[in-house]
Amino acid sequence: MKIRTCKYFAKQSVKSIWRNKVMSLASIGSVMAALLVIGIFLILVLNVDYLAAKLESQVEIKVHLVDGLSDTIIGEIRKEIKGLSGVKDCVFVSKDKALKDFSESLGENSYLLEGLEGDNPLSDSFVVTLEDPRLAPQVTLAIKAMSNIENVVYGKEELEKLLDVTYFLRVGSLVIVAILLLISVFIISNTIKLTVYARRREIGIMKYIGATDWFVRGPFFLEGVLLGLIGSIISIGLLATGYYYIARYVEQQMFGLLVISLMPFQEVLKSLTVSLLAFGVVIGSLGSMISIRKFLKV
Amino acid sequence: MIELVNVSKTFSDGHKALKNINIKIDNGEFVFLVGPSGAGKSTLIKLLLKEIDPDQGNIIINGKDVTKLKRREIPYLRRNIGVVFQDFRLLQEKTVYENVAFAMEVVEASPKEIRRQVPIILSLVGLSKKSNLYPSQLSGGEQQRVSLARAIVNGPSILIADEPTGNLDPDTAWEVMKSLNEINHRGTTVLMATHAKDIVDAMRKRVIAIENGTIARDDKKGGYGI
Repeated sequence: MKIRTCKYFAKQSVKSIWRNKVMSLASIGSVMAALLVIGIFLILVLNVDYLAAKLESQVEIKVHLVDGLSDTIIGEIRKEIKGLSGVKDCVFVSKDKALKDFSESLGENSYLLEGLEGDNPLSDSFVVTLEDPRLAPQVTLAIKAMSNIENVVYGKEELEKLLDVTYFLRVGSLVIVAILLLISVFIISNTIKLTVYARRREIGIMKYIGATDWFVRGPFFLEGVLLGLIGSIISIGLLATGYYYIARYVEQQMFGLLVISLMPFQEVLKSLTVSLLAFGVVIGSLGSMISIRKFLKV
Repeated sequence: MIELVNVSKTFSDGHKALKNINIKIDNGEFVFLVGPSGAGKSTLIKLLLKEIDPDQGNIIINGKDVTKLKRREIPYLRRNIGVVFQDFRLLQEKTVYENVAFAMEVVEASPKEIRRQVPIILSLVGLSKKSNLYPSQLSGGEQQRVSLARAIVNGPSILIADEPTGNLDPDTAWEVMKSLNEINHRGTTVLMATHAKDIVDAMRKRVIAIENGTIARDDKKGGYGI
């Protein structure tokens, strides 16, 4: 394609967008709204995935011991656990330390635990970290088989629950996103239809002069793509700004209290930009192709 | 060269627009196509431009069978056939110059070619001094000459004029005929469908008369007839 043809397409499409200001704004607005919703779902899914991955890498096995074991026996158990294949480390947490940690985590409300020092209900435990989180079930079974073990827990259930949430999030978002995409495509195709109508005389003349199909269609196609792109750029801007402030707020307010942290801003921005720009272009080109096919029989 | 061999066209409503037509037009000829309204003149023009296809027969333009052209080849056929209509079909928001240049832009001519070619063609139709005016500022005859300029600016070998003087008073009609004659003298084949008896009689060119979808008469140096 020649550069001046590109220039001609660009000029014509920008002119049309400007001429049908109201419809163009409506198109951009609808693309923006659809992409905002898509973007919010995307951010949620990304963060849940991020969290799941983080939890998975942090899988640790908690081994609660039977009460009242002697230091020698505890030492022997420790040696035995460390000897298992795949175990990276095994740290002993005494029940006094466990109570202290618990009380600290309660902060101002630590008075709730007052008086428990003499009759600590918690048990001594080991925190076992693994070289590979996938070994967790296997190591758990091996430890369970040892003597003097009360119970063994690892964060499997939480992980699975989280993955369930991601699944529903994905399916639910798919339905809403599909509806919003259809609406945007429809509105864009209507906008292009107006442009085709406004330029029908010119199109007729072009056909008699011998313009090729794609030359006639080019500006309309580009108009749709531009509308989609503008809508997606606005939505990316809004989402990025929103996420930036929310992430900062979460970090300032909750850091330390929760194990959870949000996905870093840079990473979210990258995924958002790539996928929403792609969505915008797809919506725009679909919309214009529909009206070109329907109203521009060249 | 234009050649129609046994061409028939029946429309979906059953109307037989053309019945077994045979016409041969050589390069550089000037041919009038006459006949009552609805006789098949417009159908013939649409067939030449491949707006419609015949039910039967072959249409050969410059050695190529138009009926066998693929859709994407149609633009290139039309670049070789200039067309003007009774209603001029100019773009009102463009100047005379821009209207003519537009025809070159849509076939992706270079700006250099456009700057060189447009003034030459405008002077050929006698509109050099009006190139910056808008169609609404021109007389009907002038507007039709702009549309003539647009039709030939890409150098087609054939020019089809569908009642080009139909909207014009006799004086301005003759201005247009002068331009058409000029274009024909430069070697372009001209095919003009018309009802203008006085023009046909005065020009003494070949006349093909169509009546009821058949060729009623084909005179080398004819008049309009009855």
